[in-house]
Amino acid sequence: MRPDYAQLLETNHLLQTNGDQTYWLCVTRTVQESKLFPVPAYMLLSYLNAFYRYPGVLKKIETHMSAEELGDRARTMGSKAHATSMWGLPCFYLLGREWQINMGLIRPEDAAEDLIYIVDFWKRFQLSWRRNSGHITASDGGHRTQILPERQIQVFHADMYDCESGEPLHEAAQAFAASAAQYAFLVACESRISMHQHGPYHLGENREMLVRDFVDLAECDLPWLDGVAENVPYTNLTMPMATEGVHFNIIDDWGSFAAEPEFKGEHITGVGLYTSDPLSDGYEPVGMGSKEELTRTFQDLDERLKDAMARLWKRVAGWTRDQMLDAGAITYYAIIKDLAHIAGCYDPDDWIKIDRRAERFRPLLNDEYSRDMLGDICVGSSPSHQMYEYLMMRHSNLPQRIYSPLPYSMLVDDDYAPTVGDVQPGVTYLDEKLDRYRTTKGTFGIEEYNRRVRESQPKTHEDRFRFLCEPSIKYRYDGATADELYKLHQQNSRNLRGRGAGLRRADIEALRG
Amino acid sequence: MSKIISDVDKFESESPSSVVTAINTAVQTVVRQRFEASGQNWKDFVFGESVETITEEDFRAVEQMLIDAGHRYDWSAAISPQERPDAYKPAVGTSEDDLDTFCFEDPDAPVGEPDGDGLELRGVGDNVVSYSEDTVGIARYVRSTNRVLKWLSEGVPENTIAVIDDSGGTLTAPILERFKGVICAGGTVRSHLGILTREYGIPCLMNSKVNGIMEGDSVRMESTARAKNTEDYQSGREVTANIWRVHTS
Repeated sequence: MRPDYAQLLETNHLLQTNGDQTYWLCVTRTVQESKLFPVPAYMLLSYLNAFYRYPGVLKKIETHMSAEELGDRARTMGSKAHATSMWGLPCFYLLGREWQINMGLIRPEDAAEDLIYIVDFWKRFQLSWRRNSGHITASDGGHRTQILPERQIQVFHADMYDCESGEPLHEAAQAFAASAAQYAFLVACESRISMHQHGPYHLGENREMLVRDFVDLAECDLPWLDGVAENVPYTNLTMPMATEGVHFNIIDDWGSFAAEPEFKGEHITGVGLYTSDPLSDGYEPVGMGSKEELTRTFQDLDERLKDAMARLWKRVAGWTRDQMLDAGAITYYAIIKDLAHIAGCYDPDDWIKIDRRAERFRPLLNDEYSRDMLGDICVGSSPSHQMYEYLMMRHSNLPQRIYSPLPYSMLVDDDYAPTVGDVQPGVTYLDEKLDRYRTTKGTFGIEEYNRRVRESQPKTHEDRFRFLCEPSIKYRYDGATADELYKLHQQNSRNLRGRGAGLRRADIEALRG
Repeated sequence: MSKIISDVDKFESESPSSVVTAINTAVQTVVRQRFEASGQNWKDFVFGESVETITEEDFRAVEQMLIDAGHRYDWSAAISPQERPDAYKPAVGTSEDDLDTFCFEDPDAPVGEPDGDGLELRGVGDNVVSYSEDTVGIARYVRSTNRVLKWLSEGVPENTIAVIDDSGGTLTAPILERFKGVICAGGTVRSHLGILTREYGIPCLMNSKVNGIMEGDSVRMESTARAKNTEDYQSGREVTANIWRVHTS
């Protein structure tokens, strides 16, 4: 359908929002390189794959579940449908578009209808996923990602175990977090997209809670984990972490944090551990029966992750460059794959192959060109970014725009190609993925996994609960429905089971003893 | 000849990278030729015939063009020059033999003569976390998978301060925990290596400018310096920690 002026206005606004944020994120970190992986090269390949495939795969997902409902579902689990994924959704697509504009392969108005759809999907998901804060990005919220509802925060708060430096639990939790982070970087081919932080959530006085997600840890969608991660028992792990004397002043759109004063392990005063996925109907406690059990669980997981990491590292060190390129490009491109899992329509051919239209560009991707081209398109150095000299871009004051807007002239001349079309066949240099996916309900083939997801309707997502939002709870907490909803979230809680909707933060603190 | 999008630009500019300019210009030439040959309108050509007529071979030829002209590409991943030695600059400083003579030589590194305590300034870096004591150890370069594999099986030598130019967290993944300190010549405190050393409690200086530190030198990192934060980067404020070579009498 031909877009109208209002659609173009909104689309360009969302492009600018993402462009400003991309610039800020990139200049506060620098372009990533690695001696192991050809990182910029695989990033560029992934951007092209996103450009050619995201419109098709997202439309397929929305035949099963809308972006808004996906946002609601994703809010109740620690999966790879998080802030970083939702930066990648529009931005990987847009970076692929910008690169091609600079090669003369497309004009800004080409694939206009795809672009409008992509950012509209993104907007609907973000507004839903972030509905408890009302922001569209972490940046929009002053670099915060406070997505959880009170009832879930209360469970994390109530059940976490206190610990302090030198205690076995403190040491075990820190060791686990370090191993999990390092393993996550390796699983994700040097990218940070297998881990994510959200919060902060205020626990009172000078205490805050940060929620840390580690995802894609077990044998799941990534073919390179087949046979090396078989002893990792959870695909996704979530570690709520209470801190004292430190304020997390930045939780950015890459799920990274900064703190004042600088965060150190000694600031951690409490921890918990959970797993979740599209089959779990919320967070399931892991090793939370006692402080000793949680300590042993962290220690056990630390050992398992280290073992898997060493085996995976040796596998990767033996790969060809094309295999490394594929793995990295797939990791990046498939940053939003869990949307398909949540919708129950995951197809490996959609997610772990390089579309033949993107594959053409592989010979261009030497290290130097990739490094410089990536730097150009991320921080405004490409010809397409340059605008009239009076313009002052947010953060840089330079006359630039990171993502080329759609030209409004297309409303008059109608001279644009609307879409790249459907997903086309893809290729891979990697071993084929084994049909083995570890979930919270067991290990299944993909057909069985999809079927179970489609057939399960989480109770908390029935309409009477789904739209019982925080403002509704404020005025209806004493009603039967609110009580029932809180009890659903409390059903696996050691300290809150059956307590209902009436508790406030001080009550939770008192209950913890 | 037909025009394409890059042929008209009121605010025309070039990439700061000559390699990007050369390759993109060559790709634009291919696009222009295929578009002209198609005889189609652009909007029909762009996602139709162009997908079939602008091919992998075209891109291969473009990339080879610079090599034929004598250019050798910078490498970042060790696998790249390993697979295509003729396309990349030599991978100096990655073999055990190279390390007898190799060192980072950043011209912007501040250097000085040894002071009364035997501390010879050889560079600066961005401190990830401020600790209560400076970190002293033996500088050892980590720039190849071979060295990581060797230390994975034999163990990391005691007191190793790893000198690295890879701000990522994967090259050293299986052995990072065993370093006493890390001096990284790239990235920022928010890079992956910065994140991981913070998790492990390993003193680390990122974005380090160092000159003349040799394999086996005794070095001291000023890990007591103030940590550099996001606001420092955004405002361009220099907040650095010193790196010294330690001379013992």
